[in-house]
Amino acid sequence: MAQKEQQNFQVIQELEIEMMADMYNRMTATCHKKCIPPVYGDSEIAKGEAVCIDRCVAKFLDIHERIGKKLGQLSMQDESLLKK
Amino acid sequence: MSVPLPAGATELQNVDGEQIKTFKDFLISYNKLTEMCFLDCVTDFTSRNIKHTEDKCSLNCMEKFLKVNQRISQRFQEFQMLANENVLASQK
Repeated sequence: MAQKEQQNFQVIQELEIEMMADMYNRMTATCHKKCIPPVYGDSEIAKGEAVCIDRCVAKFLDIHERIGKKLGQLSMQDESLLKK
Repeated sequence: MSVPLPAGATELQNVDGEQIKTFKDFLISYNKLTEMCFLDCVTDFTSRNIKHTEDKCSLNCMEKFLKVNQRISQRFQEFQMLANENVLASQK
């Protein structure tokens, strides 16, 4: 029983890491798309682009957190409604 | 097609799952990078040859992509460190 619980825990942990990596990849693609115009006359990151990337990452993670909280709230509400 | 192997991936006899995953991630980002830079840089199909501007654009695109990724990873790490500190502080 304890072994099974540990196995479950490991599966959940692996899934969490995988989802984190997925989120990270999506964030990279999104912020690249939003901040870097598709003209490559230079290989340096321009100042404005750098600021844009910093803000984009911060905002993306912020929104990720907020949506996560809201989703958690909603699913808790659903669960308590189902129990009634 | 030959793929440039990253350092350490050449000894394919005794690789573990972790190394295979790293290699796979590398190949996936290599393909994505090619697709993206090709789409952004190569628009003229009246000639078979790669123009000087297309060549330069693709290389700039690649270099910039790596720099952008590096920056994003730095910001992400900072964010995670802050989040961890907040968790630790709230546990006290």
